Amino acid sequence: MSKGREMSSSSFLKIEDLKKSYDGVNALNGIDLSLDEGDFLTIFGPNGAGKTTLLKIIATLLKPTSGVVAISDYDLEEHSEEFRNSVSVISHQSLLYNELTAQENLRFYADLYDIEEPAGKVTKLLKLVDLYERRNSKVAEFSRGMQQRLSIARALINEPSLILLDEPYSGLDQHSSLLLKNQLIKLHDDKRTIILVTHNLTFGMESATKVGILVKGKVAYFKQRAEIDDDNFDETYFKYVGGKTL
Amino acid sequence: MKNIITIVKKDLKLEFRKRESLTSMLFFGILVLVILNIAIGIGQNIAPSISGGILWVAVIFAAVLGLDRVFSNEKENRCIDGLLLSPIEPETIFIAKMAVNLIFMIIVELIIIPIFIVLYNSSITLENLPMFIAIVLLLNIGFSAVGTLLSAISSGTRRNDIMLPILLFPILIPLIAATVKATSELLSGSPVEKYSQWLYLTLAFDLIFFGSSYLLFEHVIKEG
Repeated sequence: MSKGREMSSSSFLKIEDLKKSYDGVNALNGIDLSLDEGDFLTIFGPNGAGKTTLLKIIATLLKPTSGVVAISDYDLEEHSEEFRNSVSVISHQSLLYNELTAQENLRFYADLYDIEEPAGKVTKLLKLVDLYERRNSKVAEFSRGMQQRLSIARALINEPSLILLDEPYSGLDQHSSLLLKNQLIKLHDDKRTIILVTHNLTFGMESATKVGILVKGKVAYFKQRAEIDDDNFDETYFKYVGGKTL
Repeated sequence: MKNIITIVKKDLKLEFRKRESLTSMLFFGILVLVILNIAIGIGQNIAPSISGGILWVAVIFAAVLGLDRVFSNEKENRCIDGLLLSPIEPETIFIAKMAVNLIFMIIVELIIIPIFIVLYNSSITLENLPMFIAIVLLLNIGFSAVGTLLSAISSGTRRNDIMLPILLFPILIPLIAATVKATSELLSGSPVEKYSQWLYLTLAFDLIFFGSSYLLFEHVIKEG
């Protein structure tokens, strides 16, 4: 990767004064964030706070109005292809084709990313998410939890260094949520940098190394996980988003 | 090229599993030909100027049915984000989707055109066949280029099945008119010189709309 615009520090992911507006309405109002390699940042925030917009910009699915996003000192705008090679997204949408089998879906993405020995890679990932036995079943026949596991395998096909998780627990039952949480912890153990956006305070706090609260398109709160008092986080959260605890 | 083939293979696999587009396209195209044949009178000799129009009405309306399916697969589970997240360029997606539309049209035409020849006693001979194929290909390319761009636009709307024809047909009028004129002259046995201006018009349409659709596709498929 050729070097792009130099950033001010050597952080793995650096976001500076990021703004996004839709028809004059500001979704992001100047986000500044800095993550080191291997960080697990959980972002909480009310609906409409700009969480998904932020993830979409980092994933190159959306263009920012202004500001800079860079991974390892390489600017997103100048190196979007390299960026896409090192980023993956897991959301409540699986990005999988219902009429294709689990194996066919992964093989399709492996081919798009030009993966060497795609068949072996697909088999390895199917085993990792415990779906190898169901490799020839269509995604349409999978439960929501199984689809989410396959979605994790899809997201790992390009061995990303940054994984973006947009409400991955949405629509999952308690058991599937626990399984997903364990899978995410495993991903983090592999020293990947992860950004999780969720409403689920419990799951979000358990995996995080850094925690942020986004309110009205700005980072209103940002702390190391170790500095946070778990017992009072509910109150802290509601204080920032302007609601009340029950 | 490899990525184009990967997407085309995936789309064809999905279509042959679901059998949604091709079945409805073929059924509709054949139905138009048969109903108009009954209305005109079975076995009646029809002026080439009319039969040329009938053929393209059947083909184009059938082809429109298949257009919006090409992106409806990508809307399911937001698969389009999966494509856009991968390191391929949006233009590659455009070429692949256009190729899928072309393949669907050619399959439909391979079945509809022989039925048209039989039902309407059309004078397509070995002599004029190459020129007829040229007319068909010129129409297919222009239709697929515009159709791919507009189906990407309409797939983002709530009523894309209504929006697509509303956007598509006004733009296609020059292409359809030139194709019908060229076909009618060809079926009448006219020399190429007599309808070459219509072929040039379809060629110009193809070049302009392929180029503009190719360049605009990224702006259409990606969110602002």
